[in-house]
Amino acid sequence: MSERLQTSAPEVRAEAEQDLPPSPGQLARTRAWSHRGFQVGVAILVALILVAILAPYLAPHSPYQQSLPNRLLPPVWVEGGNWTYPLGTDGVGRDYLSRLIYGTRVSIIIGLGAATVGMFIGVTLGVLAGYFGGWIDHACSFILTAQLALPGLLLAMALVFFIGPSLYVVIGIIGVLGWTYFMVVTRSATQHIKGLDYVAAARASGATPRQIIWHEIMPNLSSKIIVIFTFEVGVAILAESALSFLGVGIQAPTPSWGLMIAEGKDAMFFRPWLVVLPGILLFILVIGANLMGDGLRDITSPEEKS
Amino acid sequence: MTARLHRILGPAVLAAGLAFGPGVAAGPEDDTLRAAMTGEILNLDYLYTTRREYIIMANMTDARLFNMNPETQEAEPSVATSYEFIDDMTVEVKLRDDVRFHDGSLLTAADVAYTYNWVIDDGSESHAQTLISRWLDRAEVIDDQTVHFHLAAVNPLIIRDMAQRVPLRKDGSYHQGDEPDFDAMAIDHIGVGPYRVASFNPGVEAVLERFDDYFGDAPAIENIVVRTIPDVGTQQAEIMAGGINWMFNVPLDVAQNVGMRPDIDHLAGPDLRISFIVLDAAGIVEEDGPLTDVRVRRAMNHAVNRDEIAEFLMGGGASEGIHTPCHPVQFGCVQDVMRYEYDPERGRELLAEAGYPDGFDLDLWAYRERPVSEAVMSDLEAIGININLRYVQLESLNQARAAAEIPAYIGSWGSGGVPDTALIARVHFSDTSDRHLSGDSEVVEWVMAAEQTADQGARAEYYRQAVTRIAEQAYWVPLVSYTANYLVTSDLDFPLDSDGVPRLENSSWR
Amino acid sequence: MLNYIAQRAALAIAVAFTVSLAAFVLLNIATDPAYAIAGEDADPEVVEQIRQRFGLDRPIWVRYGEWLMNVLRGDFGVSYYWNKPVSALVAERVGTTLTLAFAALFVTIAIAIPLGALAALNRNTWIDRFALWVAVSAQAIPNFWLGLILIILLAVTFPIFPVSGDATWRHFVLPAFVLGASSVPPVMRLMRTGLIEVMGSDYIRTARSKGFRGRSLLTRHALRNALLPVVSVLAVQLGHKVGGSVITESVFAINGLGRLALQSILGADIPTVQMLIFIFALVFVAMNLLADILNAALDPRIRIG
Repeated sequence: MSERLQTSAPEVRAEAEQDLPPSPGQLARTRAWSHRGFQVGVAILVALILVAILAPYLAPHSPYQQSLPNRLLPPVWVEGGNWTYPLGTDGVGRDYLSRLIYGTRVSIIIGLGAATVGMFIGVTLGVLAGYFGGWIDHACSFILTAQLALPGLLLAMALVFFIGPSLYVVIGIIGVLGWTYFMVVTRSATQHIKGLDYVAAARASGATPRQIIWHEIMPNLSSKIIVIFTFEVGVAILAESALSFLGVGIQAPTPSWGLMIAEGKDAMFFRPWLVVLPGILLFILVIGANLMGDGLRDITSPEEKS
Repeated sequence: MTARLHRILGPAVLAAGLAFGPGVAAGPEDDTLRAAMTGEILNLDYLYTTRREYIIMANMTDARLFNMNPETQEAEPSVATSYEFIDDMTVEVKLRDDVRFHDGSLLTAADVAYTYNWVIDDGSESHAQTLISRWLDRAEVIDDQTVHFHLAAVNPLIIRDMAQRVPLRKDGSYHQGDEPDFDAMAIDHIGVGPYRVASFNPGVEAVLERFDDYFGDAPAIENIVVRTIPDVGTQQAEIMAGGINWMFNVPLDVAQNVGMRPDIDHLAGPDLRISFIVLDAAGIVEEDGPLTDVRVRRAMNHAVNRDEIAEFLMGGGASEGIHTPCHPVQFGCVQDVMRYEYDPERGRELLAEAGYPDGFDLDLWAYRERPVSEAVMSDLEAIGININLRYVQLESLNQARAAAEIPAYIGSWGSGGVPDTALIARVHFSDTSDRHLSGDSEVVEWVMAAEQTADQGARAEYYRQAVTRIAEQAYWVPLVSYTANYLVTSDLDFPLDSDGVPRLENSSWR
Repeated sequence: MLNYIAQRAALAIAVAFTVSLAAFVLLNIATDPAYAIAGEDADPEVVEQIRQRFGLDRPIWVRYGEWLMNVLRGDFGVSYYWNKPVSALVAERVGTTLTLAFAALFVTIAIAIPLGALAALNRNTWIDRFALWVAVSAQAIPNFWLGLILIILLAVTFPIFPVSGDATWRHFVLPAFVLGASSVPPVMRLMRTGLIEVMGSDYIRTARSKGFRGRSLLTRHALRNALLPVVSVLAVQLGHKVGGSVITESVFAINGLGRLALQSILGADIPTVQMLIFIFALVFVAMNLLADILNAALDPRIRIG
């Protein structure tokens, strides 16, 4: 479906091979405080998470309260706008500012939720494939390819229809669409770690695969997983907006930025703010996640610093 | 950023900028009307299509035996010059002798009889088959200009069906090969209408040119190009950039905004389409559910602010709140029925009386105007009903309804532009329809009886009974009637008809 | 090597069939083609007629089996919606999609490669930071939104390009930019790290110590070596663009395979969806295979098989 819903295997693999050894935490903390991109990213995310948490206190109105006579008011700086609705109202007279504020909640919840779902699926498959190899590896790479070839739109449409629209369904769908990056990276990292001396030593001393995975491999994957997780939060947020834009993601009247863009699209030549504002917020939120991800990667593997 | 965008998007700049815009300018210079439609035109044979876009196309490329005058709703001669019931079960139709097909051949009674007999043939699978089979047994050629229609049943709508549902085809059109070919006229269309198809690329564009041997009055405009542009925003940009002259089904806000430009007119015409909520009064989805209680259904009727929806979301004008399960101008749609004024307080009381003081959960399905769905949802939530809005594709809604999974949905029906309650009643109140959720067998009997008599007084009485009962029992929540919004370039004179069917063939340049 | 290619080709076909089965089931869960064909105000009887005409009243596994048998004979069936063989439908549109895909690839190359190279050669300067900023931004912009904004700005406010359609090369400029921009970040980053790596490698240092300096050396050795891995990533990106232009083609009303996919998914046109998914799966796997082969050919350290 969307260009962004897919991550290609070789490209990911190439990146994965570049940043293997994890680095000590002390060093990382020092570096974090001097990494500008990381700081900006964290600042953006903290600010928007605060907006999401404090939405009921920040929003001047309920995001659901309609007032048809007051529909499609312009923002305050455009002729006809007023301070009761600082950013104007939408097609059924709901306060746009309040919807944008509550939209932050939706995006962040879906970003974190979907990335978590994707992480569980991807890391599980990646570690299994990387550690055991053989037919398990083949099976996992088959699932991976099939997943990448199936249009996400189709999956989303079928599941939303079948289960019914809710935040959880959308989180599940995007999680199921977004585990590939986790799998590819953890798989190759696991393969690498498996070949290291201390794992061989552990195996020789009679450790079971379960023990080796949990005690030797997972701890060494964690920094990598955190980096990917941060990126995937951004990818998931964009995926949600694309699905909602096409009408198969979050359903009205829940305020989702992608859905708001779709609703404002028909009038975009005359009320461009309806399309521009949610898009800018999406951009800022995702850039926050990406900057933080970039920063984390630089910090955890400094030899890759850009 | 936003402020600047708005400023640079001021109408003056738009107009100035577009003066040197790209693309072919549509208009009188090359005597070509360029029209845009949202739905794809995939098949030019109206015997095998149903949607509104296809009615518009068929009006240009085809002619029928009769024409319905949109103002008087009387049948007027077209290919046929007259009709006469020579007995209860036989209609004699006389034909003109100067009607030519687009390939140059003359139309005779054999072509008419072939068309009708093919339509009712079990193997034709024509979309008109069910409708015409209700009354037609067979069509018989008497001489070149005379056809006898032998009826299978008495039906009040015979002449109307002839005038609206069956475009005429050449003898043998569907039987060129060994097997009958349903798609024979889908692409390479041959009709007798005022325009012939010059080229057709399904889903992209149909190019029509005036047919010089047309038997009726020649249309004013030489060429009509119908382009599929699925996105309203794109259509809007195209009309502002001068790429198209005409678009229809325009969302109200778009129509009002774009219509403010000096070179584009916003036309608002009547439309027979209405919207309504169908409620599972029979308990098909949930046995003894809240909707089986008439007080709950009445509460919902009181909850919805129809007039506000009509005024602000549908644009006022021809659109207004309705109280009947049919459009007020339709034959048989009496208006002295029980009315439920907007009164949320009364709604809450009724809910409490029915034993739902704290409301209940309800899945409300919808597929069309999203803002209307959201406004209705908000009104219903205001009296305490907890709505789960399922806004889906039409196909998905239909499928779920067929599977009896829908307790309530916001429906919409255009009656094919026919001002007769028959066109909406039968589909929504018959035992074979999954749209029928009232479970009231008397209503079904009245609706069926009305279709089996040609006596207009008796028909009116049956519909009065049905419509009154439906309102009294609040089987539906009737919502609003529609306004048909068009955007046309100011150099185009596009006359509006009162049945809401756009007739591009009647356009001319100013 | 041949063995490896054969293995991957088998995988491609297996994936294509698996995905087509999944898609078949999913589509039948979510919608009913009969309603889509009949349209909004269709009588229930008409819908029933259509269902029988297209054989939609039979169980789903029977229909999938029939579809599968026909595909094995090379017949992808007739579109429910378009009244013509799906293969003809696809053949008409594949050119448009390929044009868009290559135009987008060109945009990606034209932006990402020079930017990546400049960033690597001017490491830790403002140029490097600018390049990083471009990559991070391009990654964060919602594709469909970028398309809408470009239409507002460059097609309506300043009507330099057409709003929509695919008639002339000018129609492809904006969509190619939107589609191409999404591939800039990975390609740019790879170019940059690749070039930094090559610049620090032994043979460049050797060459430098022997007295070769300046641009000629750069172009001759470093750039070429850094470009090699980029090529394989570009192959994968091209694969995405063939199958992944659903939103871009829809926003710009381009009659390519992506828009056809969206229309047929929403309209439950099962035969068309099936063939498109088949094609997308094959292209996807083929491009990854090509990338793997390129990688292997360029880098003897990667052992494949």
